Amino acid sequence: MKNIVDEREKSIRRTVLIVDDEEINREILGFMVGGEYDVIYAENGRVALEIINEKRNVLSLILLDLLMPEIDGYEVLKTLKRDPALKRIPVIVLTSEKNAEVESLKLGAVDFIPKPYDIPDVILARISRSIELAEDRYILNSTETDPLTGLYIKEFFFIHADRYKRFVSDGKTDAIVVNVNKLHLINELKGRACGDAVLVGIASKIKDLAKEAGGLACRFAGDCFYIYADSQSDETYSEWTDELAAAANAITHDLRLTVRIGIYRSDDENEIIEQIFDRATIACNSIRQHGVKFAVYDGKMREKEVYGERLLADFPNALSEKQFKVYYQPKYAVKGEKPKICSAEALVRWIHPELGFISPAAFIPLLENNGLISELDKYVWKTAAEFVGRTKRERGVAVPVSVNVSRVDLYISDLPELLAKTAEESGIESKELYLEITESAYSENSDRIIEVVGQLREKGFIIEMDDFGSGYSSLNTLADLPIDVLKLDMRFIRNICEREKDHMLVKLMIDAAKVMEIPTVAEGVETEEQLELLKADGCDIVQGYYFSKPLPEEAYVELLKREG
Amino acid sequence: MLTIEKLKEYGANTEEGLARCMNNEAFYIRLVNIAIADDKLGALGEKIESGDLSGAFEIAHGLKGMYGNLSLTPVFEPISKMTELLRARTETDYSSLLAEVNARKKELDDLAK
Repeated sequence: MKNIVDEREKSIRRTVLIVDDEEINREILGFMVGGEYDVIYAENGRVALEIINEKRNVLSLILLDLLMPEIDGYEVLKTLKRDPALKRIPVIVLTSEKNAEVESLKLGAVDFIPKPYDIPDVILARISRSIELAEDRYILNSTETDPLTGLYIKEFFFIHADRYKRFVSDGKTDAIVVNVNKLHLINELKGRACGDAVLVGIASKIKDLAKEAGGLACRFAGDCFYIYADSQSDETYSEWTDELAAAANAITHDLRLTVRIGIYRSDDENEIIEQIFDRATIACNSIRQHGVKFAVYDGKMREKEVYGERLLADFPNALSEKQFKVYYQPKYAVKGEKPKICSAEALVRWIHPELGFISPAAFIPLLENNGLISELDKYVWKTAAEFVGRTKRERGVAVPVSVNVSRVDLYISDLPELLAKTAEESGIESKELYLEITESAYSENSDRIIEVVGQLREKGFIIEMDDFGSGYSSLNTLADLPIDVLKLDMRFIRNICEREKDHMLVKLMIDAAKVMEIPTVAEGVETEEQLELLKADGCDIVQGYYFSKPLPEEAYVELLKREG
Repeated sequence: MLTIEKLKEYGANTEEGLARCMNNEAFYIRLVNIAIADDKLGALGEKIESGDLSGAFEIAHGLKGMYGNLSLTPVFEPISKMTELLRARTETDYSSLLAEVNARKKELDDLAK
């Protein structure tokens, strides 16, 4: 049905079905409309239904007599009304009886042509208008709804939800965001068709739930749905998650899916629809814990949101006013008798003039989510490179610094040139600036990443794979990746003394690095016990509070001097 | 041979009938000839005789539409009366009405000879 209008636009000449048991009536009508339309004839309702089913995507209009042998016009109307795919074809009833009109209208007829027929101009005008109206309605319907699920698309949903808020609802309303957890796994394991079937199943249930709650729903994107409805109790929302999961699992069977629901309870009629759904989304995204089914937007989330907004608003000034300070955490080579600083990792801190010290955990994800992280990264690259340049000039030898390259940075079109220029302008060689790229960056769009990383290495940069062990690299793909240093995920290091399994994994990773003939760095080392274990396993470099916390530039320079 | 003139004389509203046929005389004459050859009128008499008013109504209704669209007024008027009586399943003596319809139809048939 999707391309009906397109097809019509292309062919222009529409097709009309004339259904009448009287040959003369058929002939006259056909003669009248044949100049402008292609005409198909049926002599009774049975033949008409066969043609309609066969040519459903071709027919623009049906001219239907009511009293006919076998299946009459009323039955044809009823059949069309029952089938959503056929309902869209407009029907004009041919009748000489006034009292047949109301019943036909109720059954879905759009107009009447009285018998004996009017003059052709009148009939043609009525046909043309009915086709036009039906096509307009179809175009509207097809753009208002998502073709897969039949739910509203977001743009129309917001319009309707806004009207609902202002004119229909007289009590409290809730903005509800429904997310299907891990639907991508279904797509990967069972194919896209199964994933789509799950979405259709869930959408159908969502439609029912929204209706019961007196509201409306849309497919917002991918596996995310919005519902705007009268406020429901927590118990009801808990039941909704079960019912929605059941709808999904009825399709997936062995692979169990869950859904999570975020709710914003709105009692201020002046609130903006889009904003209340943003808040329901925040509530939905706050659910990380397994087993938690729904979350209601609350004061804490509000505070966090306001705080986030403040940080984002302050970010441009913070950058130009150099509120971001680069700290350096030394890395020690532990292979020799005495541990020796061999490089440092640049870590950024935000010292806000009013808010004070802001944790990177608070602002880095925020900047990542809002597309600002590259701005900060570039600032850190420049600051760190200049620092290495300064110390190199003062000491005569460079102590390299590693900087973070976020995954979005890898999409900067001239990244290798930009970094090379940064190094050059700071008076250092590329090999004196190490680039830390997180392991998980390699798993998404890996071809692109491998290509860019290859270019960076060609420019002479040293590539450290950060957080190794946290992603999904297998050992055989590791061998093909363009890396110079393997940096173990600190979560393994944290427990190596307590958990033998973690220790074994760390040892395995160190051995893998040896096979690849690249050094390993263990970060997050806090105790002598951890250090000894890592040394015994053959780890080359260690970073962590055991040796030093991240230091401001001056303190790091002092440390370098002290350690010679 | 059937002509527009003969139909006019018969009492048909040929202007109206022709208008429905986009003023194409040959087409109009062809349809009137089909109406003349149609034998449903005989079946109508049989249905009435057997007391099958529903069956009779279906046939009368069809004939009414056909004669009406061709604006064959002399035969359209009595068949319309019959149709309305049959629609209400009126138990009455249809013989005089039927005779009139048959007489007007015969006059029409004669035009074609």
